[in-house]
Amino acid sequence: MTDTEQFPVRVEQPDRNGGNIFSRVFDELTAFCRSRSLFILHYCTGCGAIELPPAMTSRFDMERLGISPMVSPRQADILLITGYVSVKTLKRVMLTYEQMGSPKYVIGICSCTVNGGMYWQSYATAKKLNDYMPVDLYIAGCMPRPEAVITGLRQLMDKIAAGEANGWEDYYRRYDYYLGHQQRLFGETWQTPTDVIAEARHYGLFGPETLGDHTRLLEQHQAPLEALEMQLGLGAPDEVKA
Amino acid sequence: MHWSELAIELTLMPLVAFVVGLAMVLMMRKIAARLQRRVGPPLLQPLYDIVKLYGKRTQTSHGMLHEIGIVMAVGGYVAAETLLPVPGMNGIAEKGGMITLLYLTMIPSLGLALGVGQCANPNGSIGISRALTAMLAYDIPLVIVIAGVAIHFGTTNLVDVIAQQQAGGIATWGAVQMPLLAIAGLFALQGMLGKQPFEIYVAPAEIATGPMVEMGGKFLGGLFVMQCFQLYTASVLYVTLFLGGGENWIAFLAKAFAVLVIPMSIAFLFPRYRTEDMITMLWKWPVVLGLIGLAFVGS
Ligand code: SF4
Repeated sequence: MTDTEQFPVRVEQPDRNGGNIFSRVFDELTAFCRSRSLFILHYCTGCGAIELPPAMTSRFDMERLGISPMVSPRQADILLITGYVSVKTLKRVMLTYEQMGSPKYVIGICSCTVNGGMYWQSYATAKKLNDYMPVDLYIAGCMPRPEAVITGLRQLMDKIAAGEANGWEDYYRRYDYYLGHQQRLFGETWQTPTDVIAEARHYGLFGPETLGDHTRLLEQHQAPLEALEMQLGLGAPDEVKA
Repeated sequence: MHWSELAIELTLMPLVAFVVGLAMVLMMRKIAARLQRRVGPPLLQPLYDIVKLYGKRTQTSHGMLHEIGIVMAVGGYVAAETLLPVPGMNGIAEKGGMITLLYLTMIPSLGLALGVGQCANPNGSIGISRALTAMLAYDIPLVIVIAGVAIHFGTTNLVDVIAQQQAGGIATWGAVQMPLLAIAGLFALQGMLGKQPFEIYVAPAEIATGPMVEMGGKFLGGLFVMQCFQLYTASVLYVTLFLGGGENWIAFLAKAFAVLVIPMSIAFLFPRYRTEDMITMLWKWPVVLGLIGLAFVGS
């Protein structure tokens, strides 16, 4: 969790139209570098994951586009959801997504992330991924070939270079909407370790729909986060929390 | 030397090190790609990565020590660069010498340990304890090697070491005079760079890149910058001790890059050792080689 009190941070807002020429050149440069250097975190839950190894290794080689796999959410730019997400999985996906540093992008690979695909009738899967988090790009197919994956990533790169891949801002600006869908699935006591509302305030991304009925519900039961107590010892811990 | 000249050298040396380091990172990734029959990243990829990481809009800090740790990690190497003579610039190398340099190259690991400690991530703690263990493992051969070189040339001053080797030509190079120590030095180099088979503390598939697990945005950017410096420092130190430093920039860069090709080609062909295997390995072969080499140094 970010300790926003301890570090006074000046938040730079990019000036979309206007500003002096240097800041525009600088923004262009950063946007270009962002598009040419993408670290992906692949959350391989569904069958679509099997198409990623060929896309990464010698046959199609993502690294020549500047895309390389990373292993922890803090380091990653792209969250790659490869296939169906069950309700239980989606919880982990949400935790992962909120820990990533912005700008972050979500790609849904496979038809199952678009509308449930062949698991439409299943009680256990989340159907539309963009109800729960902003998705920048869907790559449909059951499952999409590596060529399609690479094409999708190239489209995302173009969007980033043009400054259009701003789905992550939407998560802050319309947090109430996304939280509502999460609460519908996970129950009213759903809470993540990341304080999204505080972050939205801190980074100047507060929108009219950041707060609402659902965030009010969250505030009613929100427990402050406490550091886990460190325990040394042999044998099983007395109480394992789920 | 006038103080303004010194100031220019002190700013230029880390800058040059950074630019050369970027090229070294690119070379490392290219070698990995070629060995795996891939094309590999484009020319400016290391730079894109760093600019992107510093350009992140939200940064997750875990507290004051987290930030200071990264500054120490980069700063330790920046200070080390001013002690490494390059063609035409000596910086404060004459005042420092090998022993100071050896101390300075340990600061980054300690800084990282401080920073990672505050992240309170178990993977990070395991990673940093392994990193410090690795340091313990490769420092023994490294110290033997450095002691041998110092005894051979009769000085710990790196500028003198280079001058002696350049005056006598190739026959007086450290690698020709002390081949056993040069081989032991290669082992230490591999450990110092933390490359496979000694990549115990990064281990992406096992402990999720260890010390780097909680680092995002500018923190990871700082570590990427540190990696550039690390590659540069390790290879230039080896070139200075064993390959006669650089007569001019072309020879210097050629040697520095050539030295790095050895650990990198080894790295991407091997899996990694476990921690205890690494220590056994590094305390056995390079130490034995180094001690035998040390026995011949005086004669
Ligand atoms: S779209 Fe097809 S391949 Fe992809 S996760 Fe669903 S069932 Fe599997």
